[in-house]
Formats: sequence, structure tokens, C-alpha cells
Amino acid sequence: MFNTVLKALLLFFLLLGQSCYADDVLTQIAARLIKTPITQGNFHQQKHLKVLHKPLISTGTFTYDQSKGVIWKTLTPVVSLLLVNESKLLTGQGEQAVPAAFGKVFKAMFGGDLAALSDGFTITGTDRKTSWQLELTPKDDMLKKIIGMMLLSGDSELRNLEIREAGGNVTRISFDNISHPAQLTDEQQADFERLSP
Amino acid sequence: MLVICILGVQALSKDWLETGFLALLPTGEQQPEIAKATRQHNELSNRKVIWLAGAATSEEAIRHAQKLKQQLEQSRLFNKVVLEFPQQYIEQYRQLFPYRYQLLDAQTQTILAANPDRLLQQNLEILSSPIAQMQAGDLERDPALLFSRYFSAQNPVKLNLEQGIVVLSDRHRFWALLLTDLQDEKLQLDKLETLSALVNSATGQVKAAGGELLVSGMPLFTAHGAESAKQEISTVGIGSSLGIIVLLWATFRSVRPLLLSSLAIGSGLFAALVICVLFFGKIHILTLVFGASLIGVADDYAQHFLCDSFGEQDWNPRKGLKFILPGLSLGLISNLLSYAGLGFSPFPGLQEVALFSAIGLLVAWLTVVLLFPLLLTGFTFNHQPGILKLTTYWEQHWPLWLSKNRRWLGLMLAVFIAGGLWKLAPQDDVRLLQSPPPELIRTADKIRSLFPLTPDNQFFLVLGKDQTDWHQNEQRLLERLEALKQQKALTAYEGLSNYWPDANRQQQNYRLLKQQLYGSGLLERYMTDLGFDRTAVQAELKQFAEAEHNILDLSEWLAAVDENKQQLWLGCDGGRCQSTVTLTGINDINALAAVNDLPGVAWVDQVESVSSLFARYRIRASGLLAIAFCLASAGLGFKFGWRNGATIMSVPVMALAVSLAMLGWFDQLFSLFNLFALLLVLGIGVDYGLFFFMAGDRRASTSLGVTLSALTTLLAFGLLAVSSTEIVHAFGFTVTCGIVTALLCAPLIGLKERKI
Repeated sequence: MFNTVLKALLLFFLLLGQSCYADDVLTQIAARLIKTPITQGNFHQQKHLKVLHKPLISTGTFTYDQSKGVIWKTLTPVVSLLLVNESKLLTGQGEQAVPAAFGKVFKAMFGGDLAALSDGFTITGTDRKTSWQLELTPKDDMLKKIIGMMLLSGDSELRNLEIREAGGNVTRISFDNISHPAQLTDEQQADFERLSP
Repeated sequence: MLVICILGVQALSKDWLETGFLALLPTGEQQPEIAKATRQHNELSNRKVIWLAGAATSEEAIRHAQKLKQQLEQSRLFNKVVLEFPQQYIEQYRQLFPYRYQLLDAQTQTILAANPDRLLQQNLEILSSPIAQMQAGDLERDPALLFSRYFSAQNPVKLNLEQGIVVLSDRHRFWALLLTDLQDEKLQLDKLETLSALVNSATGQVKAAGGELLVSGMPLFTAHGAESAKQEISTVGIGSSLGIIVLLWATFRSVRPLLLSSLAIGSGLFAALVICVLFFGKIHILTLVFGASLIGVADDYAQHFLCDSFGEQDWNPRKGLKFILPGLSLGLISNLLSYAGLGFSPFPGLQEVALFSAIGLLVAWLTVVLLFPLLLTGFTFNHQPGILKLTTYWEQHWPLWLSKNRRWLGLMLAVFIAGGLWKLAPQDDVRLLQSPPPELIRTADKIRSLFPLTPDNQFFLVLGKDQTDWHQNEQRLLERLEALKQQKALTAYEGLSNYWPDANRQQQNYRLLKQQLYGSGLLERYMTDLGFDRTAVQAELKQFAEAEHNILDLSEWLAAVDENKQQLWLGCDGGRCQSTVTLTGINDINALAAVNDLPGVAWVDQVESVSSLFARYRIRASGLLAIAFCLASAGLGFKFGWRNGATIMSVPVMALAVSLAMLGWFDQLFSLFNLFALLLVLGIGVDYGLFFFMAGDRRASTSLGVTLSALTTLLAFGLLAVSSTEIVHAFGFTVTCGIVTALLCAPLIGLKERKI
């Protein structure tokens, strides 16, 4: 079991690393993405765990604020709230350690800063007229043992995220109803407030 | 002397200087188990140095820390430099996995007992969370996430890790944490100097690279104390040597007296040092400071002898010795009596000083009495030193003026002394004795706020006659602490029994699981709902059934957990088991100290207990001072008659009263250590009174001797008063007041006899 925990930890540590230049494709795709300070929408997540013969499905909403972090609100099957920024992570179980670069991965994905992902991954991609797709393979050997590949696809937004773990588990998250409001709602403000020290 | 030299070379060739503050504390005062626990606690904290490398981004902070780590490893000062979170510790914890049904954390227990459905709902929440992998990595082997929960409860404070490094943050910066342990808890002076230099250069380097470095830890405080003490010794040493040289040269216009005085004091010091090191093994740096000062009394003997040569036209050393020997011997005896009293105090520091100064004085006295006559052969003056004229004038006119104005002077003095004594308030807080620079304290506070895991100085000691008894006692304590934590009396506490349930508790946990989850069909439903297949459910139920009689021993548990937890356990021996419960972020110390009433629980507050010890020994030392005073009075009374004895003793009495009054008026620190200074004042006062009493018709030369010795003593102690170390300053201040008073009063003695 602890191998897995350890690996999961490593996953996040290793997303950092030396910086390298972005692909041409990456630049093009990044250029297509809408970049605004606030992004929000719905998510639909399917976790296919090897030991379970049916997927764990959860749905909810997410809010990304460039300077404040991410609100990940699960509505089904149980209501729960996860708040995260670069240095703090709150869940229903209280404050948790922030997996390193966790906030940064979120930021890279929702903030349209794909170049930041190239720190820890080899990225290949296709940029078609209507949609794009990126394949991320970890650079580090240790991380490879945990994550086989990550697939990102979308158009002017990130629409799908698929994480294929080396052990065979797969998580698929799709995003819809994405919008870019100019301001946070009071409720969102209040949630982010809990993250400030 | 030759013997001492040879012994000395041997003794001083090894490491002989002690600088740690704790070495000054008595051991016999405390109950042995508390002393042992305190020692273990101190040994750990005395070695720890915490480093935080800060920068605007976490990557930069980590880079600074990595560079720093290399530097620290190269220094060879540390036996442990931890930057990356040790991962073997996670592996180690896996050994506990087979006992997952017995090891429930407190929260899981509560939820399970009240509402097992809630527990399973929480599991679902965890599983669907984006960080599920971290919290529920092994669903296959641990479907109810029992061990995941237990493991995560092991670290109540969640630390953020990046690249395996703990990264803390405040509003402006990210800080990478580096923990080091010094190789030796004995904190040797040269090691401390290297440490200070290392801290300074590392701080400079990180700063140059655009970052910031915070360093704290007990060794740094000790290093600062040692450094300033060392600096002060050399300042006091150089200052007083220069002053004394000038003074003696002006008086005698010859190098011989100077060399002889130095010989007397030097041989006294050296012998004291050697004997002390031989006797105690090591000598504390404060002993050296105080002891060296006390030996300053030896100067009285040398000056008195030398100045006697001005007393008679056909003076020669043997005749001189014959005349002054009774005075010198009585002076020595009264001083030795005063210092011997210190030896009965249980503070090792005071014992050292007692032996140091007694040996020093004795050897200095022997040098004066045995060697001076030999070395002064053929020594005469053909000059009339200016200072002699001055002291002669002074000796003739000052007492007359005093007695002429005695009415209003006496009244003023009485008011002054009464007022000062009334204002005098003892301060025994041990923290007042150390005066670390505010910068060090600020850094320590800052680190504490960033990294709230550093335990405070105070802790609880939990005892039990066996493991069960101990476990019960500690659990009772932890319950109280939990309540206090809710009331914000402290931010965290750490006790073993919260992580290791005893055999009874383990069985209870198992029964609880059986009743609420495994035996009720709830687990089956939960697993089936999640999507486990039939065989997986059966396998889990089988594993649970097989684990029924598992019991995890404390020793086995300890072997699997991290070092910080292991260190809490003090072991069982002789029908007694004990552990410590550490506390962090104490806000209300009185509320915590009050928890003492539980059975088998002892509150350990070293600062408080040392302070109260200081208070008790201040009182006892006052007694010793009184006894020394009585002994000296009795001795003098026996020798010269009660009336004359009282006359002589009036000098030290006056000196002591004025010293105390001055302490009161100037709001100075008044603690055990001032009493020490008062002992010196007593000794010197007796000397001066005695010398004048026995002067007969040699009042002029006696006056010169007393004045010279007072001036030289003042040069030595007056400089101590400028010290930045509170304790040294208080000492200097007290002695200065006392000596000046003794000098002013002494000429009154023996005056009447001459007139009659």
C-alpha cells in the first residue's frame, strides 16, 4: 500500500524539475486556449479502479481563480469540498498536506499555461482544426512507475483529462459548461476566504 | 609548585572548558526519574539546529537549502543533516499493516461507535477526491481505509512536501526546512565557534543569492553566551591588567612589585584551575570568570606586604612579614570561611567556584608568605610615591571630617540604606540570567510560527507501575490536554498512547469493528456497492476473522514508528514505566501546570524549577553569608575581644548594607549571584578593617596598601559591571559598591586607639 502512497507523493514532486522549451504544437495549442483570471464549470469524473468492476463516478463543479486557487466541489455521490492553493489544502477531513505542485498542475490546466507542464513531462500533441490533443509522458523514471500517461484534449477550453496509471487504474475527467465570469460569487469568495492564512 | 605545573600540563591538555548552561544546574535536587527524563529531553533539544532557507518561490528556496545542505555536511559538525523527508519511515510503518484492525485512530473510533455509515460515506468522499491516491492508495488491501486513516492520524500537523522537502510558507516567502543534529550534545567551545562562523557565512551566501536564512536552536544561544563571556573575559583582563600595571608602577617605580603581585595572583589562578580540572574533570566558563575575580582578593595580601615597606625606615622583608603575618593569616582564614560556605550549595557551579577560589587564595597567600620575603630581599625604596602622600593625607583628614559631621552623615546614611533595602526585590527568574540578543529571539519566534512542530521546554512525565497502568495514566492526561487544546491553552501535544492502544484497547477496537462494520453486514454492502466482487469481499472478511487474536506489543510498535515518537518512550525498569508527553505552542502555562493532580503525571518545567531553586538557594546563601559573617565575628571577637571584633566587623557590615541599598536604588538584578559578590565584599571588608586595626603606627603604609588593593580590585570588578551578561554585570556592580564603601569606612578603624 505504501508504495502507492509513496508513488502518489512522488507524482507530484516530480512535476517540477528543470524547465525546458515548449513545443511548437504546445505553443499553438496554448494560443488557442482562452486565458482569463477566472474559469468555472462542471466536472464529471470516472475512476476505473482495477479492483472494482464498475467505475467510481463523481460529479460537481470547479472554480479556478488565478490568484486564489481552486474550489473542487463534489456534489455526487457525496457532497464534499476541496480547496487548494499553492500552500494550503482543505478537505472534509481538515487541512491536508499539499501534494507538491498540485496547485501548479491545476493552474497549468485551467489557466492555459501548458508550458508549465513541460517541466515534468515529455509532451507530444496534435493540433487539428476543431480540437487538440496532448499526450504527457513523465520524464522521471520514478514517476513513470506510477503514471503511464496523461491525455489532455479540448478546443478553446480543456475538455477532457485522462490519467492512466502504470498499475492499470484510469481516471477520466470531462469538463463542461465552462464559463469565464468577471467576478466570483459571494459563495466562491467565502470558500476562498477559508484558504487565506 | 612544580607538582602543580606537571599536573597542570596533563590536566589542561585535554578538553577542560565547559560552556553549556545546563551544566550549572544541580542534579540531586530533582527526583531521579524527572532528572532522567529532563536529561533525555535536553540531550535531544541541545543538539538540534533548525535552518529555514527562504525565497520568493519554493524552487528557489529548495535550491538554497540544497546548497546549504552540502555546506553543512562538509563542516562535519553534524551527525545528521535532514533535508529530504526520510522515505524509509513510510516503509517502516508498513510493518504495522497486519494490525490495522487493532490500531484505530481516535477519530475513527468515535465515528465508528456513533455512526458507522458516516465512516463509509467519508471513505467515498476520500475515494472520489482528486487527492484520493494520496489518502487511499491501497483500496485493494484496505477496502475500509482503516490503515490509511491510522497512518494519516500519525501526523496531526500536515506538512507540505516538494521533492521530498518540507516547504513552509508565509505571506511573502517559501521556506525549505533543514534539520540538523550536532554530533556532540556536550557543546564544546571550539565547535560552537565553528557553528557560529558557519551560520554567519551561510546567511551571507544565501543573502547574496537573493534569499534569506533563518537559523535557530539551543546551540546557537549557548554559542552566543560563550562568545560574549569569552570576549568579556579578555576585555576585563586587558583593562584590569593595564590599570594595575600603571597603578603599581606609579607607586613603586620598580618592576619587582608588579611581577610579584602577578606571581601571587597568577600562581593562585593556575593552581586553582589545575586542581579544579583534576577534581571536577571540567570547569565551567562562568566558574573561570567568577573564580578569577574572587582570587582578586589575593591582591590584598600582596599590596599589604609591599606597602608595608613604606612603613619603616629600616624595613626588610622578614621584619615586614612578622608584622603583617597575623593580619594576612586572619584575612585568609576569614576569606576561606566565607568561600567554603559556597561549597555546601548543590549547584555544581558554586561548588566549583568555592574550590577554585579557596585553592587560588591559599596558593596566592602561600606565595606571598613564603616567596615574597625571599624575592624581596634587598628591596627598599628611596622615593616617596605621590600616592603615598595622597593616602597619608586622606588617612589623616578623612576620618576626622567624618567624625565631625557624623550626625547628619549618619542620618543620611541610615535613610539611604533603609530606602534602598526597602526597594530591594529579589528576581530569581533564570531567564534573566541569560541575555541572548533580541535578534536571536526574534528568529526563534519566527521559526516557531512557521514550523509549529518544535516542542516547548515544558513537558509532562507519565509514570505507571506497568504498561497498562502507564497507558491508563497517559490516556487520562491526554484527555485533559485535548480539552485544554480546545480552549486554546496550547496548540498541540504528543503522547504515545494516542498512537499505540494497549492490549485491552486493541481488543476493544477489534470488537468495535466487528460489531459495527464487519459483523453487521455493513462492510459487505459497502464493498459490493463500491464494485468489489464477491471473492474480494470474502477475502476481506476472512482476513478480519483471522486477525482476531493479533496483539501488537509496544516494543514492536516502537520499532516501526518514526524517531520523534520513539523518543517519547523512556522505558520500563524496576517496576516503573515512563514516557514524556511533549507540548507545543503553550499559551496558558498555569492551566497546564494545574494538570499535575492526575495520578502518575508530573509537570516538568525546567525554567520554573530552576528559578525556584535559585530562589531557595538565594535564601540559603543568605544564610551562608550570615554564618560566614558570624564565624568571622566570632573569630575576631575571640582574638581581640568582642568590642574590637565588632569594630572591625563594622567595615564589612557597612559595605554589605550599602551594596544592598545600591542594588535597591538602582533597580539591579538581585539573585543568588549577587550574594556571591557580597561574600567577596565581606572578605575584603574584613581584610581592610583588620589591616587598619592592626596597623598601629603604620597607618600611612596600611592606608596605601588598602587603597592600592581597593583600586586594583575595582579595576578588575568595575569592569565586570560593564558586562552585557546580566549576571556578570550584577556581580560587578555589587562588588564595586561594597569595595568603595569598605575603602571609605576602613580608615575609621583603629583611629581612637592611636589618639589615646
